[in-house]
Amino acid sequence: MDLARITWFTLAAAMAATAVMIPPGLFLAWLLARHRFRGRVLLDTFVSLPLVMPPVATGLILLMLFAPRGPIGGVLARLGVDVVFTWKAVVLAMAVMGLPLFVRTARAGFEQVDRRYESVAATLGAAPLRVFFTISLPLAAPAVIAATVLGFARALGEFGATIMIAGSIPGSTRTLAVAIYSFAETGRDREAAALLLVSAAIAFGALWLSTRLTSRNGMRG
Amino acid sequence: MFPLVVLAVTLAQGSGPPLTVSAAISLTEALEEAATAYRAAGGTAVVFNFGGSNTLARQIVNGAPADVFISADEAQMEVVEKAELVVPGTRAAVVTNRLVLVADSRSPVKAVTDLGGPGVRRIAIGDPAAVPAGVYARQYLEAIGQWTRLEPKIVPVANVRAALTAVQNGSADAAFVYATDARIAPRLQVVATISGSQAPRIVYPGCAVKTTRRSAEAAKFLQFLRSAPARAIFERHGFIAPPDAR
Repeated sequence: MDLARITWFTLAAAMAATAVMIPPGLFLAWLLARHRFRGRVLLDTFVSLPLVMPPVATGLILLMLFAPRGPIGGVLARLGVDVVFTWKAVVLAMAVMGLPLFVRTARAGFEQVDRRYESVAATLGAAPLRVFFTISLPLAAPAVIAATVLGFARALGEFGATIMIAGSIPGSTRTLAVAIYSFAETGRDREAAALLLVSAAIAFGALWLSTRLTSRNGMRG
Repeated sequence: MFPLVVLAVTLAQGSGPPLTVSAAISLTEALEEAATAYRAAGGTAVVFNFGGSNTLARQIVNGAPADVFISADEAQMEVVEKAELVVPGTRAAVVTNRLVLVADSRSPVKAVTDLGGPGVRRIAIGDPAAVPAGVYARQYLEAIGQWTRLEPKIVPVANVRAALTAVQNGSADAAFVYATDARIAPRLQVVATISGSQAPRIVYPGCAVKTTRRSAEAAKFLQFLRSAPARAIFERHGFIAPPDAR
């Protein structure tokens, strides 16, 4: 029935969004933790924007960029790629909203890595990429895992940006959060209540996991 | 989409707090103009909460402090009536409207029958589960025997204006909206105006909400909306006066 389908779709989309946010997230976290450069604070602020801006505003920006008449959406449309009102829009909204949490958490991990290990590896001739994958990343792993869980959890609950760019299409873009809203709006209270329970259970699981991961590694917050 | 809450906060000048009117989003421009005229004629100030009628009805049933409710269909008015929140004797038709099919001016869609074609991937309508414009669109498509065929292409949105926007920014190929909505989107073409025996009867009922402490003011405003000056404003925006007010 609908319930299982919506739950499964939401989990799958959040997983895809997490996979999408990891590569740029790791790069940004490492960049912000390890480098001083012009515009660093600006980049830091920019990455964190979706955390503070109303999600609907972020969604509106995404919609303007990715709509078939928008600058990015226009290019994609010519390539035959449709984003708005498809599952891709769901993943996009989730990834953008989850990224700041991922970057902030992972960055704290990179900052805690002792620079001397990295320097030693570099003096022994390891290329920067190798230093990153053999020294920095493994040492920051607990924080990166926590960042992944947090990013995933944020993606799961995404609503504001999703409804703007992906809409609420049954069987195609309707996530748990969006479905709860749509069901409540249309007076289907029983379905809404059932989904509420499911989403509470998932959120509980994700939070419990992230708390366990962060507390075990002595990280505060 | 979030219920579009438009708060036209006008400070009440000595005539008590403004009247809160929860009204169907399709009435936005016309009602704002009517409220200005009402004020100019010595009436009380009015603030609006515009949204999909289903959203508004749910808000009212859950205790939202609206003085007046104007729905885009009888079904959502019925939701408020069933909760015994309609002030008896105040429920009356305010305006009527027509459904149209809109598409981009460059779109290949030239008739309702083109919607089944491969060039049309998405048709935006209000959520047919409750949003009046979507319910009307569904009723019409069912009446002409096209609903089952077109349903996979349907994108249900939060209210009729969201359907209009979806076509404007290219996210949807066509949308069923009210004739009055199409007028505020001059870049779109009205492919078809739904009329004839299969066209849904689109009536906007209004009422004073029982929780109001200002039922006299609420009734007065509703009366004004059915007066000749207000009718002129509505007609300028493309609405049609209900038969009993003509």
